[in-house]
Amino acid sequence: MTAKRQELLSAFVDGELNAQELDELLALMNTDDNARNDYLRYQHASDTLRGYSRHNQPIDLTARLSQALANEPTHQQSGALKKARVFSVPDWFWKQTAGLAAAASIGALAVVGVINQPQSSATPPLAQLEQQPTQTASVAATNRWTVGEQEVEERLNNYLVDHNEYAGASGLFSYARVVSYGEE
Amino acid sequence: MRLVLPLLLGLSLTILSPVHATENDEAITMLERMTEAAKELTYEGVFAYQSGKNLQSIRIYHRADARGELERLISLNGAAREVIRSNDMVTCINPEGRQVNVSRRPLGRGFPSDLPRRLSSATPFYDVELGDMDRIAGRKAQELVIKPLDQYRYGYRLWVDADTHLLLKSELVGNDGDVLETFAFSSLNTDVHIPEHKFQPQMSGEEMTWHRSEPEKPLNTAVHSQQSLWRAQWLPEGFAQVAYQTRLRASNGADVEQRVYSDGLSSVSVFIEKIRARHNHLQGGSHVGAINAFGTVMNAHFVTVVGEVPAQTVEKVGQNIQFVGIE
Repeated sequence: MTAKRQELLSAFVDGELNAQELDELLALMNTDDNARNDYLRYQHASDTLRGYSRHNQPIDLTARLSQALANEPTHQQSGALKKARVFSVPDWFWKQTAGLAAAASIGALAVVGVINQPQSSATPPLAQLEQQPTQTASVAATNRWTVGEQEVEERLNNYLVDHNEYAGASGLFSYARVVSYGEE
Repeated sequence: MRLVLPLLLGLSLTILSPVHATENDEAITMLERMTEAAKELTYEGVFAYQSGKNLQSIRIYHRADARGELERLISLNGAAREVIRSNDMVTCINPEGRQVNVSRRPLGRGFPSDLPRRLSSATPFYDVELGDMDRIAGRKAQELVIKPLDQYRYGYRLWVDADTHLLLKSELVGNDGDVLETFAFSSLNTDVHIPEHKFQPQMSGEEMTWHRSEPEKPLNTAVHSQQSLWRAQWLPEGFAQVAYQTRLRASNGADVEQRVYSDGLSSVSVFIEKIRARHNHLQGGSHVGAINAFGTVMNAHFVTVVGEVPAQTVEKVGQNIQFVGIE
């Protein structure tokens, strides 16, 4: 075991890593099986010393690590992640139609055409809708789309699956993005 | 400008030293072998997927024989999500959400994810070099370093098995040199017979909600691009259409058109979906891992660009999609 790895592991087990060192350790874990095994030995030794019993259960290393990371405050150059903006189709748009069949018939309406609808308090122009306040609530830096609406998220997930069929040089690994979606 | 840039890039390549050119050729050959190995080999293993602070372990089974390809990925952490791919279908199982999504692709096409597929067209836009020999998952690996020559695509560092040419590790590198995503095998067996039951999902499917999407028109070539009512007015240099298809989403009855553009190494998909009910949609940018998306609404359609390219690329592509037909 290298001195650096030993130092990082020891500090991690003792809860003394800073965010940068945690990233460094994570990178090490990701690429070095020996580092993972060393971690397990360290954790076991540490727990035993503290009087904790593991009953020989397998330790889900990555889950523990990811949980620890999720609990870390997020430091980004641009500050906290922001939710993506979401466009809502206005109610008046649908009230003027008689259901989906009619909706389909007006499907070809250009955005310009929609904007030219009579504008009253009940029919806000689309331009205004597009300028609805951006949702700026912070969201955790999780492995999921930065949108707050389930419907939008599910649509993007469908697109993600279909796009991965053609993913680039990451090739055989690309569906990892789908199976690990939303896990923290 | 569209012609000048490739020309200049081509000229710059021709004046490189013979040694560099040979090395470049070797790297391209290795990429081609890597692509073939992923399709032709039978293998099972566990790999790590890291994106930002998220680290996941995933088991993969891949079988290739006369019947075609069959693949299953299972998340080993948290909810045991699965993806099973066969020649004509992609099934995503989300046990936590009790959902199964089935996306059927045109019959007999097999796995289309065989990029890099147009490497010769990609070379003017990337610097591809052989790196050092390394050791990944206990195997000797040749590193390949792929650097983009503009800001509209990401770079890659790939580690290819010296023995089987299978991709052992992949890093997606951002424009500032940061590693955005890492995939790396921790264990791999390529000399293996994988029994049929290994490709069966853990969940029976009972008490699950099933969502299906069917290919409406089995079209998948650039030849059919003229049938679309939409046109991409701007793409990064070297990007060309490699696939076009429409699917019918059974859940909401919507037709979804997908057009895929690629430079041989990176790709973006443009999804166009008619607004058929009271829906919300992404307005602007979002991302998951290194995948960026940009959404907008145009001619009563949701237009969404998705790709493993920088945010500015999906945004610029999305802002330059134009409706050119009359329905």
